[in-house]
Amino acid sequence: MNHRRVVITGMGTINPLGHSVEDTWQAILGGKLAPSTIELFDASTFPTTFAAQVKNFDLADHMEDAEKHCHAGRHCKFALAAAVQAWKQAGMDNWADLDHSRTGVYLGSGEGSLDFDNFVSLLIDAWKDGQVDTDKWPILAKERMELYREVEQESNMVVAHLAAEFNAQGPAYNVLTACAASTQAIGEAVMQIRYGFADTVITGGAHSMVHPFGLTGFNRLTALSTRNDDIPSSSRPFDLTRDGFVLGEGASILIMETYEQAKARGAKILAEIVGYGASADAFRITDQDPEGDGAATSMRAAFADANLQPTDIDYISAHGTGTNQNDQVETLAIKAAFGDHAPNVPISSAKSMLGHLIAAAGATELITCVLAMRDQILPQTANLNTPDPDCDLDYIPNKSRKAEVNICMSNSMGFGGQNNSLILTTTE
Amino acid sequence: MADRRVAITGLGVVTPAGVGIEDTWNLIVEGRKAIRQFDVFDPGKFDCRIGGQIDDFSARKFVPKNYRKAVKVMARDIELAVAGADLAFIDAGITTKGIGEQPDIDSKRLGCNIGAGLICTDLNELGQAVNTALVDGKFSLKAWGEHGITNLTPLWLLKYLPNMLSCHVTIIHGAEGPSNCITCGDASGHLAAGESALYILRGAADVVVCGAAESKLNPMGLLRQGLLGRLCTSRNDAPAEAVRPFDTSHDGTAIGEGGGLIILEELGRAQQRNARVYAELVGFGAACDPEAINVERPTAGNLGLAIKNAIASAGLTPADIDGIITYGTGVPGEDLAEVAEWKSALGDAVATIPAASITGALGTMFAGSGGVQLAVAAKALHEQIMPPTVNFTAAAEGCEMNFSSQARPTEMKTIVAGVFTVGGQSGACVLKKAEV
Repeated sequence: MNHRRVVITGMGTINPLGHSVEDTWQAILGGKLAPSTIELFDASTFPTTFAAQVKNFDLADHMEDAEKHCHAGRHCKFALAAAVQAWKQAGMDNWADLDHSRTGVYLGSGEGSLDFDNFVSLLIDAWKDGQVDTDKWPILAKERMELYREVEQESNMVVAHLAAEFNAQGPAYNVLTACAASTQAIGEAVMQIRYGFADTVITGGAHSMVHPFGLTGFNRLTALSTRNDDIPSSSRPFDLTRDGFVLGEGASILIMETYEQAKARGAKILAEIVGYGASADAFRITDQDPEGDGAATSMRAAFADANLQPTDIDYISAHGTGTNQNDQVETLAIKAAFGDHAPNVPISSAKSMLGHLIAAAGATELITCVLAMRDQILPQTANLNTPDPDCDLDYIPNKSRKAEVNICMSNSMGFGGQNNSLILTTTE
Repeated sequence: MADRRVAITGLGVVTPAGVGIEDTWNLIVEGRKAIRQFDVFDPGKFDCRIGGQIDDFSARKFVPKNYRKAVKVMARDIELAVAGADLAFIDAGITTKGIGEQPDIDSKRLGCNIGAGLICTDLNELGQAVNTALVDGKFSLKAWGEHGITNLTPLWLLKYLPNMLSCHVTIIHGAEGPSNCITCGDASGHLAAGESALYILRGAADVVVCGAAESKLNPMGLLRQGLLGRLCTSRNDAPAEAVRPFDTSHDGTAIGEGGGLIILEELGRAQQRNARVYAELVGFGAACDPEAINVERPTAGNLGLAIKNAIASAGLTPADIDGIITYGTGVPGEDLAEVAEWKSALGDAVATIPAASITGALGTMFAGSGGVQLAVAAKALHEQIMPPTVNFTAAAEGCEMNFSSQARPTEMKTIVAGVFTVGGQSGACVLKKAEV
């Protein structure tokens, strides 16, 4: 099998801190905090009343024929806008020689949200003797439920919309490994290009679980911060007072292609992805492996894939969710994978400002790595004021830092134990 | 890396035909059908009241004693994957930590890649909780947030996350290698198998349990497929004859539930332990149909390109193909679109290459269909039998391929299996008869 180099030539994002890559980066470097009271629905009586929401978003601001995607779910519209930005930056919109049959889509996108009002009203109006009345439910459901609203809940539909928008006919995948999904998607997209299945891939992720059942699910798991009295600084990765993650939403999309193709068409190369590792904790569905062995395995696999050593890594973009368990386990995993070098590697969590974009988190965080290399500056972990003795590495507390940054690692760990690591570099 | 090859050494299948590859294979080759009037819930006033239902099945039998509590947080889809994986490892003769005291596989070299669909929450479970949050007979979000949510089990969300198919399997069998969950509807199984083969080829794993599982045999599944107009509603009284892939009187599909898991193993490893090799997975490809966002227009997901890619990645040409496992949903527009794709990939040869669809016997198992079809393709090569396409009498116009309602002993070196999904993705795998 031949082994082709894979580079990033376009990036786009819609997230709670910005509707473009530059706005997001400036917000992060400025220490802006995204969490706010939930406005999308009345969450005032939930254990958690806040989230990191995308505000003032209209797909029509990002593309001319937005109406074509009128059925798309909220997260899918984020993805379309992000993809338009990335496509443009990559110069694909005016490259006539693009081979559409060799252009793929590989996303880590979440499911579309339920048609909540109709879904719930059916459960009430067709409820009899403690269960759904199947004489009544199908008839009411056919009246109230709409075809497109239902179909768009399938998580492969974001891929379908992006394929339609950019006429991508090549390999098309969606993966949904929870919070690791878009990191995994990017890693596997690299393999699609590296081993010759596609020349260009639209990759990244999109998700919104800021809806009543999303909040319900995570609140029942007691995974979310409940710091309702101090919402802006509720996301506190690696801080002793952390009390859970902050639910976020958004999408980030990258255009990746072979190094040769990018060079040949004169595209500006933003970064090269040189390593990908994946693993499973194989421990428990509710808990991470307490030793961090699974996450360390994925980091080691990425080193091996990139043929690099821990000492080569200038910066780690952490998964850093702000749950008690994650940050402790992740610290142990970094120590296991990096050995003696662990204390020397600067680490930060963009989730301290962005919130947790779930399936879209990894792709968004990868973008911050590309920008860190571009500007030679490391973003901080915000809200890190009370050190945790169990989290004793260099998390770049509260203040960004000038540094020489040429090689970065970005880590994601999903609920259920799937771990993914990417290594990216600048490219001459 | 070039010297690594991928063997299929284990098949684990749970379908409406039964538990284990033999039940499914026997039902198919004997021309029997598992579609009937379902009773997993009261079909009530649904327009389509037939389906492929799996009876007498409990995931408890397929998990180690110390993990049985976890079955309570497994949606049906997860149960099917867990059972399929267990059956596949046993069929392969591989002892994982979930199967025996003395595992004979390095956990870090064992991958898991199981595709899944949109898992629907249990309406009765959620309805119980929702109906505690009424104010003046109407749902109140305030009441829901305040006390309604406490009526759901704390782990409620984890029952329905699609990656939980893989996660439970990794936990049970100690699979610590690469792990993924592809959610491309019905295409997921073939895509997962291709990606898993790549794990082995690029050296990231030596053994991978892969495939897909899904059950849409629930009210939301029936509703959604009904809205799409994909279900057969004209033959509720003749369920066995209802799903008729490529036949002149095809009139929609029926929902089946199923899990199809296969064990992929680096060929050298398989040979070293004298494992039975059903087939080699020698090529895989994927593609998509950009027009498929219009879900009212039937699509076969640009399957022709996926097939071409798969054959090319195997280093073969269309002339090398001896057998075809189609999807054949029985939805008229999809049958027509699919045959056009096979023709575009293989040319006039599709008129002569023996081909089959197993959907008439088992129903559309969505993500599960791909995994089951791959298992059947491997078995077909191993047995040198092309399975029948049940209910096929004569080809619908535009659906002319070499189908037969009878099982056919056939000399085959290679089989191509292809699948596609609503939404437009497709996948194809090329399987080659094992060299003895």
